[in-house]
Amino acid sequence: MLSWEYPPHIVGGLGRHVFHLSKVLSSRGVKVQVLTFTDGSSPPEEMADGVRIIRVNPYSLRYPDFASWIHGLNLLLMERSVTLRDFDLIHTHDWLTATSGIALKHVMRKPLVATIHSTELGRRGGSLKNEHERHIHEIEWLLSYEAWRVICCSSYMVGEVSRFLGCPPNKIVKIPNGYAPESFPKPAQLNRRDYARDDEKIVLYVGRLVYEKGPHLLLEAASKLKRGDLKFIFVGDGSMKPYLVDLSVKLGISDKVYFLGHVPDDVLHALYRLAAVAVFPSLYEPFGIVALEAMGLGVPIIVSAVGGLDEIVQHGRNGLKFHPGSSSSLAEAINMLVDNPELCRNLAANARESLGTFTWDRVADETIKLYELVLGEYKSGSWKPRV
Amino acid sequence: MKPIIHITWEYPPFVVGDLSKRLSDTLPRIASRYPTVLVVRGDSDGVFEADGMKIYKAGPSVRTHPHILTYAHLLNLDLIRAAANALHDNGGASLIHSHDWISSIASAYVSSYVGCPLLMSVYTTEITRSGSLKSLLSLGIFDLERHCFQRAERLFVQDTMMREHLTKEYGIDRGRVVLGNDPETILETYRRFLG
Repeated sequence: MLSWEYPPHIVGGLGRHVFHLSKVLSSRGVKVQVLTFTDGSSPPEEMADGVRIIRVNPYSLRYPDFASWIHGLNLLLMERSVTLRDFDLIHTHDWLTATSGIALKHVMRKPLVATIHSTELGRRGGSLKNEHERHIHEIEWLLSYEAWRVICCSSYMVGEVSRFLGCPPNKIVKIPNGYAPESFPKPAQLNRRDYARDDEKIVLYVGRLVYEKGPHLLLEAASKLKRGDLKFIFVGDGSMKPYLVDLSVKLGISDKVYFLGHVPDDVLHALYRLAAVAVFPSLYEPFGIVALEAMGLGVPIIVSAVGGLDEIVQHGRNGLKFHPGSSSSLAEAINMLVDNPELCRNLAANARESLGTFTWDRVADETIKLYELVLGEYKSGSWKPRV
Repeated sequence: MKPIIHITWEYPPFVVGDLSKRLSDTLPRIASRYPTVLVVRGDSDGVFEADGMKIYKAGPSVRTHPHILTYAHLLNLDLIRAAANALHDNGGASLIHSHDWISSIASAYVSSYVGCPLLMSVYTTEITRSGSLKSLLSLGIFDLERHCFQRAERLFVQDTMMREHLTKEYGIDRGRVVLGNDPETILETYRRFLG
């Protein structure tokens, strides 16, 4: 398994995905070796939860930009993998470890499976504006071309990989992500009055503060609601933060908004418990694992009807959906939910129930089934190592 | 005998600069003494025979690059694909010989996979090309050169100035630098490794 992030080095959902998947695969008897990144603060090699983790440190080389940094990381992953001969299949995640996966595939003549969690075109709103973005897009294309099978986490992503990368639909397998309630630590002890007045209900946003996650829509909705009894708490950080702070001032709602930045998981857990509603206003969302976390912790959710979120939430049953990009539609949904405790209770109860299928056990089962299919096809073919 | 695999980013008819000419003077003479396979960046993937060598060409899989360093990494991925075919088609390699830094990633990787000696011909370096390391891009290329040069068992250079340069700037042990990049010197060095 190749991944640019793995605990303790976590950037986003990809690292958590690879962590849970490799752990459960290992518990099912699949021998998993994860090749990943270290900045020198984690051991170069260790066994954890039955998974062998091998880390390389790319800071031995200097780079002018992120793409070169990623290529340098892949160079070191390739070199480190040369000593690993006892594996049947390579599984790589996103363009970030595509080149080392492709090199390994050709040199060792072993089948390559790729999980594409998101695409550059999707992340950039459908257009590529410079050579960096086009470079990444072409590597994603190459990965989908070289992979024996491509895994996507939602029907939306199956369509995107097929449409944007020209990958034949029958080469793509949909395996939705899992949710691990046990991975959340016990909630921290928080004083609610540190976050909101007694008469204010908390509307919680959790996610990176970047355009594709739509945090500005929640501010616009807050302004349209003109309600004094709501507090909008933003958990997460990102390049949009200064803009959002300015926007809250311009909209005259800065006293109703609280930007917390990154918080530890135990604080996040406690905030979910304090929240009346959690909002995920993404403009682009391949899956939306964060929404599953909110659902699992019993918070009623409002999501934009986009990507994976649109597939997870059934409007009025396990959450509310609003029109993507429409702050008016979002404001309406918030109004509907915060004034209706019974609806909140029903949505939260149904949400927990609907999480039943989103387990890492199910993800591992479907992944093993795919591995077996790929290995069966590989064994019956003539493309084999001769060295 | 398993072949010697040469890896380069240019060889006629795939000409970029002077390296093609040098190699078209050198490699046929080597090929007349040892079974020789050449891996080269080409217009598309394929295999053909020329100048006494079996030539594996690799077409570019990614065409948009922000700069030379990203180009070099993806070029090497293409060269690895062709070199892997060369390895598996010919039962391995007795020695890998890389020409210039730009194909050195593929050469170092493939030789460490096979477990055979890696030799490199060094014609220029980032410092000799750019005068000094003034940008992060130059530093990135320099680091990559050093990383790959240090994996070579022998480095062929044209003159004593380049030998001193590799020793001083790249930390290469003087005993690993071979003076001369001509067929006779190269063949003599091969004999020491291959018997």
